[in-house]
Amino acid sequence: METLEKLQILSGAARYDASCASSGSRRQDASCGTGNTSQGGICHSWSDDGRCISLLKILLSNDCIYDCAYCVNRATNPVPRASFSAREVVELTMEFYRRNYIEGLFLSSAVMQSPDHTMERMVGVAELLRTEERFGGYIHLKIIPGSSSALVRKAGLYADRISVNIELPSQESLRRLAPQKHKQAILEPMSLIGRQIQESMLERKASRHAPRFAPAGQSTQMIIGASPESDLQILRLSEGLYRKMHLKRVYYSAFVPVNADNRLPVLASPPLLREHRLYQADWLLRFYGFSAGEILSDDAPNLDETFDPKTSWALRHPEFFPVEINRADYGTLLRVPGIGVTSARRIVAARRFSVITPEGLKRIGVVMKRAKYFITCSGRPFEKTGRQPELLRSRLLIGDGAGESIPEPPPKQLSLPGLFA
Amino acid sequence: MNRYLYDGTPEGLLSAAALIIAEEKEPETITLAERENTLFEEGLFIATDVAAAEAFFQRLRREAPDAASIFYYFVLAEKEGLDTSLLHYLFLALRQGDRVNGHLTHSAVRDVVMVSRKASRELHRFKGMLRFEKLRDGAYLARMEPDCNILQPLAGHFSRRLRAEDWFIYDVRRRIAARWHQGKLQFGSIEQFVAPALSDEEKKVQALWLTFFRTIAIPDRKNPRLQKSNMPMKYWKYLTEKQGV
Repeated sequence: METLEKLQILSGAARYDASCASSGSRRQDASCGTGNTSQGGICHSWSDDGRCISLLKILLSNDCIYDCAYCVNRATNPVPRASFSAREVVELTMEFYRRNYIEGLFLSSAVMQSPDHTMERMVGVAELLRTEERFGGYIHLKIIPGSSSALVRKAGLYADRISVNIELPSQESLRRLAPQKHKQAILEPMSLIGRQIQESMLERKASRHAPRFAPAGQSTQMIIGASPESDLQILRLSEGLYRKMHLKRVYYSAFVPVNADNRLPVLASPPLLREHRLYQADWLLRFYGFSAGEILSDDAPNLDETFDPKTSWALRHPEFFPVEINRADYGTLLRVPGIGVTSARRIVAARRFSVITPEGLKRIGVVMKRAKYFITCSGRPFEKTGRQPELLRSRLLIGDGAGESIPEPPPKQLSLPGLFA
Repeated sequence: MNRYLYDGTPEGLLSAAALIIAEEKEPETITLAERENTLFEEGLFIATDVAAAEAFFQRLRREAPDAASIFYYFVLAEKEGLDTSLLHYLFLALRQGDRVNGHLTHSAVRDVVMVSRKASRELHRFKGMLRFEKLRDGAYLARMEPDCNILQPLAGHFSRRLRAEDWFIYDVRRRIAARWHQGKLQFGSIEQFVAPALSDEEKKVQALWLTFFRTIAIPDRKNPRLQKSNMPMKYWKYLTEKQGV
């Protein structure tokens, strides 16, 4: 099979992996190799679905022995199968990198023969790139659940980022939809990686020649909408992964039905808005000092589709507002809908010089669309909606009236056959 | 006299700023503009003094390193008509140090920081969206038409990244080029650009990239608006994956 044909099969099979990050690592290698990495990451292109292309995202093989219900590569699916040789992947990576198409390689794979067999070949590709080609660009390796800890350790030494996919948000769903994957086989490498990263950071503090272990950290991914978990369950899981396992990122991937299977829900379209709201909530967990229990509760365990999670929180907590721009501390400013990390920092920096006026606030670049209902400037409110929650909700929804209309409600999940039987 | 003129060069601007900030009691009331040599032009012309400009910039780097970098990107943006804002910004930077960059409620600071940010944002974009093509002699060539004059820092980035290759980056509109050859970086202008022949394998690699670009998108999630907002169409001209679209 020609490389072009393989690339078509194996990039098409890799596209449901959501991660595209090339950040978090600063690799500035010796003078003769090719490539380095950038701390902030670099996007090289944006595909037709609007997602950024930063890495050459491919599978080493789509020839899978597993039969996970949601996966396009499941063993019983009649799709064309292909496998790259290590040399082919190395050449593609180097040719693409030299033309500045990519920041590096994101290599994943279907499970060929056994987890160890697969992992060994994937690590082999990274080893070839690092040692033979002296490649200094970004490498993200997927860890195959169930592979030996020796291989996981080796992967971490060659890669910038490694990730184990959690796939589904609960053990029960995993058992139903991916019966050959076990919770333990996923969590064990995750905690091993976490420990190795901590250790390597300590060692590198003692000596900067100590080897780096996955300097850009670890991430994971789960599918949203293929199983019945609530958003609260999902966010609690993410919270645990961030706080206890020190993950860099949790990716959420709206379920795109690629197989007909009576264990899977029938959707009118992928739950993209739900995915978007989960990402917003994820940001609140990581950068805004929110906890999962603040964003959602057992009484209302799912994110509001009409409002973003921070606005929803603000509407439930009128006692917290209005926030005085000239006095509130950074953490309080961050709780105002429409004020993000950038705006909050700018406000804190600017008010050292003088009192911030409403005009000054606009000059700083704070977007007032939502914020104006929740703040005061030297005691003066911007809007007189006061504490009437209903008025506030409708104002937030339709803006100031002119020309804007209420967005159409998104397509709902139709049914979950079998799951609630 | 509270209006000064200079010759329009970055060195001239720094010389003028050095002199005004040293001599004037209230630099914040001074206006500065580029000399246009019209008959009725008012203002005192300050001649460029390269040594004074250099000394002033070194002082800025010592006392407010972030402000020096904001000045650098501001110059790359080639934005005209903000000379007075820049003068006031430099004056404040020397008085307050890097804290000045947080003073965004001040209109001069805001103008300078925003223009500067435009250039650094475009530089970052081109680190990703520049495309090299392999030539018959084995060297690589990239062409671009950025709004800001980012060639110098961009070439610096690739001199650390693609050290093992020989390459050129050509700014088509400004007719200037950077060349990395045997580990040395050079800059020059190009009077007449003749597109050199591509290597035989180039079209093959481009076809591979195009295939990847097309198949990596999830068909159910097609979103051309998002694609365009991340990757504005003005940059598509030299993007390998957007040829013939």
